[in-house]
Amino acid sequence: MVKDRNSFIFRLSLTLFVILAINFFLPRMMPGDPFSTTSADEAGEEIIVMTEEQRLYYINYYGLDRPLHEQFLVYIKNLMTGDLGRSIYYKMPVSDVIMLHLPWTMLIVVGATVISTISGVVLGTLSAMNRKKGSDKIMMTGMIAFAEIPSFLLGLILLLIFSVHLRLFPLAGAITPFANYTGPAEQAWDILYHAFLPVVTLSLAQLTDVYLLTRNTLITVTTKDYIRTARAKGLGEKTVWTRHALRNALLPVVTRTGFMIGIMMGGVVLVESVFSYPGIGMTLRSAVVGRDYPLIQGILLVIAVSILICNLLVDKIYGKLDPRVVI
Amino acid sequence: MSLLKINDLKCHYLTDISTVKAVDGISFEIEEGEILGIVGESGSGKTTVALGIMGLLPENTAFSGEILYRDELISSLPESGMDRFRWKDIAIAFQNGLEVMNPVMKVGVQVTEPMIRHLNISPDKARSKCADLFRTVGLDPKWMDLYPNQLSGGMRQRVLLAMALSCDPKLLILDEVTSALDAFTRKEIRDLLVDLQKKNGYTMLMISHDITFVSSVASRLVVMYSGRVVETGPVRDILVSPRHPYTRGLVHSTPDIFVYKDLWGIPGDVPAGDEFKGCPFSPRCTQKIDICNKASPVLMPAGGGREIACHRGGIAGLLEAKNLNFSYRLPDGEYLQAVDNVNLEVREGEVLAVVGQTGSGKSTLAHILANVIRPECGEVLFMDGNVSGGNYGNRVNGIQIVFQDPFSSTSNRFTVLDAVKEPLYINKIGSNGDRLQMVKNALELVRLPGTDNFLRKYCGELSGGQRQRVALARAMVMEPKLLIADEITSALDVSTSANVLRLLKGLQNRRGFAMIYISHDLSMTLKIADRIAVMNSGKIVEMGNSHDVMLSPSDEYTKRLVGSRIGLCCHNH
Repeated sequence: MVKDRNSFIFRLSLTLFVILAINFFLPRMMPGDPFSTTSADEAGEEIIVMTEEQRLYYINYYGLDRPLHEQFLVYIKNLMTGDLGRSIYYKMPVSDVIMLHLPWTMLIVVGATVISTISGVVLGTLSAMNRKKGSDKIMMTGMIAFAEIPSFLLGLILLLIFSVHLRLFPLAGAITPFANYTGPAEQAWDILYHAFLPVVTLSLAQLTDVYLLTRNTLITVTTKDYIRTARAKGLGEKTVWTRHALRNALLPVVTRTGFMIGIMMGGVVLVESVFSYPGIGMTLRSAVVGRDYPLIQGILLVIAVSILICNLLVDKIYGKLDPRVVI
Repeated sequence: MSLLKINDLKCHYLTDISTVKAVDGISFEIEEGEILGIVGESGSGKTTVALGIMGLLPENTAFSGEILYRDELISSLPESGMDRFRWKDIAIAFQNGLEVMNPVMKVGVQVTEPMIRHLNISPDKARSKCADLFRTVGLDPKWMDLYPNQLSGGMRQRVLLAMALSCDPKLLILDEVTSALDAFTRKEIRDLLVDLQKKNGYTMLMISHDITFVSSVASRLVVMYSGRVVETGPVRDILVSPRHPYTRGLVHSTPDIFVYKDLWGIPGDVPAGDEFKGCPFSPRCTQKIDICNKASPVLMPAGGGREIACHRGGIAGLLEAKNLNFSYRLPDGEYLQAVDNVNLEVREGEVLAVVGQTGSGKSTLAHILANVIRPECGEVLFMDGNVSGGNYGNRVNGIQIVFQDPFSSTSNRFTVLDAVKEPLYINKIGSNGDRLQMVKNALELVRLPGTDNFLRKYCGELSGGQRQRVALARAMVMEPKLLIADEITSALDVSTSANVLRLLKGLQNRRGFAMIYISHDLSMTLKIADRIAVMNSGKIVEMGNSHDVMLSPSDEYTKRLVGSRIGLCCHNH
C-alpha cells in the first residue's frame, strides 16, 4: 500500500513537472514578446506603441532578458511559495486575475457537464430501449451528424438566432453591466440568463459523445447474463433497465464525464470568445495575444490541475460504484 | 395433470449467415413433484429449452410450439404477462458464471429483490428470509453483503440456488448447476437438492451434461441430441440398458458409471449444417442404414415407459447365437463338452468380453461364432442371416477373427503385403492396384508403415507386436462389422500388449465395429469391455454390464475369478 502510494505521488509529481515545463516553454516559443503588440484585440482599444528603449526597459524589468533556464528556476521557486507571478497586461497578481475569471468558467463548465451528462444518458437510454426501431435510428443519425459541427460554429449560430434575431438572450457578458439587483434571486436569474447560451453550446458539443457511449454500453450490457437473470426474476422491464442495466452502463459514462471536463476546458476558450464571456478561456485568449507569459502559465496550470483533479475524482467515484475495482 | 407440458417446441436462432436449430421439435411433460433430467452434450439445445420455458430466448429466435404451465399457455405471453409466472411459479438456477449476477449489486440484495417484488413483503422481512435461505444452501448469512466477484464459484452457485428458491417456486429449473464445481461441493449440492425435494416436494427440471449427477437425483431422463429428443425413460433403465446409440455413447463416456474402463468419447461432432434432412446422429452412428440419411426419426414408445427415436428401433442386434453346443472327442473316447448350450447376443458397436479360465471353452466359442468350426447344434445369426449360409467371414463388412498366436496365424514365409492381401485375394475383392491401396490403408490403421520396404519384409522378420498388428491389419482390410479378438495379447509382453489393446479399442471406437474380446485377463478386459460374459466349463455363467459383473458378481465362479486377481500392496480387491 505504502509503495503504491509513493509511486502514485511520484507519478503525480512527474506529470506536474512536465506540465509546468510545457506551460513555461511553449508560450515563449511563440514569436514576439509582451511589449511588441501592434494590433488591438478589441475595437476601440488603445494601442500603445513603445519605443525600443521602453521595450528593453520592460523586458529587463520583468526579467525576460535572463537565460530561459534561469527564468524557469525562478518560476518554479516562486510557484513553490504559491506565487504565480504578476500579469504584465493586468498589472496585478496572476492568481487574482484567475480568481476573478475562474468562477464564470466553472459555472458554465460544470453546468454543461451536468446538462450534457444527464440529457446524454436519458437520450442514450431511450435510444437503447428502442433499439432496432425507427426512433433509435433517426436519433442516432441526427446525433452523429450534429457532433460534426464545431462548438464555436455552433455558438455563433446560436448567438445569431437567439440573440441577434430573436433577441431572447444577451449578446455578451456574464451579468448585465451596472445592474442594481433587488435581491439574490434576481442576481441569480441574471447570471443564468447570461450563462444559458454558452452552457447550451458547450453541452450540445459534448452531448453526442455521452449519448453514444450510453446507448452502446447499454446495448452491450443488455446482452449480459445478469440482465437475463434479472429478466428471469420477473422484475419488470423498468427495474431491469434502471436497476440492472443502467447502473452497469453508467460506469464508463462516469469515466467519460471526468475526461469531458478536460476537453471542455479546451473548448471553453473558443466558446467564451464567441459569447464574450469573461471566464478564464477568454482571458487565456487575450493573454496569448498579448504574450502575457505569467498569465498564460497560470491559466494553463489551472486547467491542467483541474483535469488532474477530475481524473482523480473519477478514479475514486469509480471505485465506489464498481466493487470489482480495487484502488 | 402435468405441471409443465411442452409440445413440439422449436427454437431456431437466426443469424445473418445461418440458422441454428438449437431446439428442433421436442415434446415432454413434467408431472407435479417429479424430477426430470435433460442430458446431452454441450450444444444439444438443453439450455435453450430452459430459456424457452422462462421466456428468455434472444430476439433473433424463431419460436414455435407450445409451453403449457398448469394448462395455461405461457409460451405466447408478452413480457409483462410472463412476469406473473417468473420466479413465483417457475424459477431457474443458472449455471454459475462470472456475470450471471449483477456485478455492482450485493448478492443479498439480488436474492431479496424478487421476494420484495413477488411476495409483497418488507425489505427487512425479505432480508431475514434471505438469511434463512443462505443457511439452507449452506452459506453463512454474513456473505449477503458481499459482491458477486468476492465469492468463490461454489459460493456463487449456492447464492444462485438461494435466489431461485427465494419465492418458493412450483417448478425449479436447474441449468448445469454443478458442472463448474468440485466433487465435494457437487455432492453437497446434490444432497441439498434431494433434501429439498423430499421436504418441499419441488418439481424440478434438471439440465446437465453430467449424466451421473442428473441420474442421482432425477427419476426420469430425457436425452437430447442436436435439438431433438433421442430417448426418454426411467433413469435406472436408461443407465443399465441404453437403447439409442447416442445414449449408450454418453453412458459409456461417463467415468462414474464405468469406473474401470478407459475413457473413450463418442467420435465426431454434432453436425453443424442446418440443411441436413436425416437423423442428426447418423454421421456419428455405427449402425446407420439408407433411411437414416434421408429422414429424421420420430420419438416412438418402446415399452416400459421408454421412448426412442431411431430408424432401427435403437441399438440393433448384430449377432445372435442360440443353443450352441460343441464337444471334442478325447483320445480315451470320452467327449469333452467345450461349448455347452451357449446363448449370446452382440449388438452394434459394442464390446463384449468373454472371460474365463483356460479351457473354459472361450476359444471354441470364438471359432464357432467366426464360422471357423461348425457347432454340433444350435445356430449363429449374423445380421439376421445364418452365418454358415451367409458366409459372413468371406465378405466385406462381415465377421473377422484375430487369433491368439501371431506366429502361427501369419506365415513366416509370407511378406507383409501378401499376408494382409491374402483375404482380398482369396475373396476376389478389388483389382491388384486397389488391393495395394487397401493394404496400405489397413497398415496405416494399425500404425504400421506402408512403405515398400516394409511391405516386402517377411513376417518372420517381425517382432511379436508387429506381427499381431499385421494380423489385425489382415482383419481390418475386410472392414468387419464384428471383430473377434481371441486372446490377442496373451502372447505379447505387457507394454506391447497395452499398445495393441489401445490400438484395437481406438480402432473400434473410431470405426464403430462391434467386438468380441476373448481373454482370461480380467483386468485387461475391464479396460475396454462394455459387457462381460463369464464362461466356465463351456457354459456362460454370468453376463452383464462390465461394472456390474466386476463390482457385484452374482455367480460363485465369477466371484472367484474376480477374487483371484493378484492385488498389489494397497491395491487389494
